[in-house]
Amino acid sequence: MATLAVLHGQDDSEQTRHSPAALGSGFALAAQGLRKRYGDGAEALCGVDFAVREGEIYGLLGPNGAGKSTAVQILTTLLLPTDGSAQVFGRDIVRDQDAVRRSIGVALQETGVDPLLTGSEALELQGRLYGATRRAARERAHELSGMLQLEDFAHRRIANYSGGMRRRLDLALGLVHRPRLLFLDEPTTGLDPLSRNALWDLVRTVRSESGTTVFLTTQYLEEADTLCDRIAILRAGTVVAEDTPSRLKRRMRRDVIELEPEDPAQLATLLRLVRRSQPSATLEREAVRVHVSHGATIAQELLAAAAGAGIALGGLRVAPPTLDDVFLELTREDGVTDAGEEA
Amino acid sequence: MLRFLEELWLLTGRSLKVTLREPWAVIPNIGISLFFLFVYNAGLSGIGQLPAFGGVPYLAFILPVALVSGSVGGAGAAGQALIRDLESRYFTKLRLTPVSRTALVMAPMLSGMIQLVAQTVLILLVALALGLKLPGGLLAAVGVVVLAAGWGLGFAGYAVGTALRSRSGRTAQAATFIFFPLLFLSDTFVPLTLIKAGWMRVAAHVNPTTYVFDAMRSLLAHGLVAAPLLRGLAAIVALAVVTLGFAVYTAQRTLRDA
Repeated sequence: MATLAVLHGQDDSEQTRHSPAALGSGFALAAQGLRKRYGDGAEALCGVDFAVREGEIYGLLGPNGAGKSTAVQILTTLLLPTDGSAQVFGRDIVRDQDAVRRSIGVALQETGVDPLLTGSEALELQGRLYGATRRAARERAHELSGMLQLEDFAHRRIANYSGGMRRRLDLALGLVHRPRLLFLDEPTTGLDPLSRNALWDLVRTVRSESGTTVFLTTQYLEEADTLCDRIAILRAGTVVAEDTPSRLKRRMRRDVIELEPEDPAQLATLLRLVRRSQPSATLEREAVRVHVSHGATIAQELLAAAAGAGIALGGLRVAPPTLDDVFLELTREDGVTDAGEEA
Repeated sequence: MLRFLEELWLLTGRSLKVTLREPWAVIPNIGISLFFLFVYNAGLSGIGQLPAFGGVPYLAFILPVALVSGSVGGAGAAGQALIRDLESRYFTKLRLTPVSRTALVMAPMLSGMIQLVAQTVLILLVALALGLKLPGGLLAAVGVVVLAAGWGLGFAGYAVGTALRSRSGRTAQAATFIFFPLLFLSDTFVPLTLIKAGWMRVAAHVNPTTYVFDAMRSLLAHGLVAAPLLRGLAAIVALAVVTLGFAVYTAQRTLRDA
């Protein structure tokens, strides 16, 4: 803890004084029974619990509408929870908003930057709003422009920035005051693969250089997989699983095979045939679906079997599990069948 | 407190900076005020000969109309600045900082006030160039600027409150149409004694703008005279208490859970 306080400078000495108990617990962020019901009665979060350890990159994974954004907005003090509580380094997110705001950096989808400002102006203002002197704010702005490769555009108006540049600026704005906990809301949604990889590297750098804890939301399994130490999977406002990516993946079999007979009438026959070698096969809409560890090999066997039985196939898909597959897999464990899946 | 003032100054400075980068959002408002001044003075100055004007030149009589219309426009700019930040969602980014919530809402108002004061001074200078005499001297001119700023502040509370409540540029824009009855249901062009329609006289008595016009006119024509000045200030305080109360109430509600 002492080393962290040194790395983060003066802001933390104050935190250390005020919340020794929380620092002792080693959690950067913790939530207990977090609920959010909107005015129209819709329940976005139905009692969410999790705990993020200091220095960890923690991912909240879920499809659109799962409640990720609501969770982040509550944790960053933008929204009030209907029920439940959460603490950032031991400080309550409702009662102690100022202390929470000081210790977190945020890059949210729900925020923007004044398009008439230049990047360096926005960074400098941000620094000064956190109490830095003009000179310190200017130096920090310069430093971050370099780190996020924004130098060439630092003196151009933000209105002229590309999507990737805005995302990097947003990250820079979140890092201005050297926060101990960084929130990233779908940081790579809409980015091209190159910018996405660059952003992942940046997040790793931030963590390794300053020990910053990172809490991110994503709808991409791959992102959670490569970047996060631990993942919570959020579905319809509830955490359905929380573990390390590797353990979660072990819980789901590797690949998904889907076979679709040309004649829908043969669906039942095809299912019976597949179940002879793959008893876990299920029927999903117009196709037989099975999760296996070696997709390509099993697919070959199944194709041969289908040809042998005289079933003409109209479609075949062999793929690593998508987020939807993960969900199907997880909800099946709960004994619930979910018909909603990707188109 | 010092920290609050620093935050307010930083946010106001930002607001002014971006306003200057988009001057076309402000120029029409100044244009309209100067247009009022030129056109009404040129077209109506003859009626200043009427005894009801008590020898006050028509330029001094109509100048407050240009000033008040300018100050209302400047105050509307405060609402528009806030709407811009709400729409670009920069406002949400600012809400994530530990900055005082009061400073967040006051900064666009203060920036609107600064624009308004600059604008009022400009219009006064144009009036002087047109031949305005100021028997009350610099003190009277300062008094007029203070009245315009106070009236603008009252209107800024209204503009910011509706901006926060509606979060839409169009609704906030529509809400500024209250400006028309406020400006014109009053002794706008002639003294009350010359207004014959009974309903109009009632409206003018109820309309707080009337007292602001009268206070400005008295300053311009006679310098510091207590009674009209105090009535004008009272009207301003009454309006400001209501509209700033509305703005603070709306801000507290929307900033708590938006």
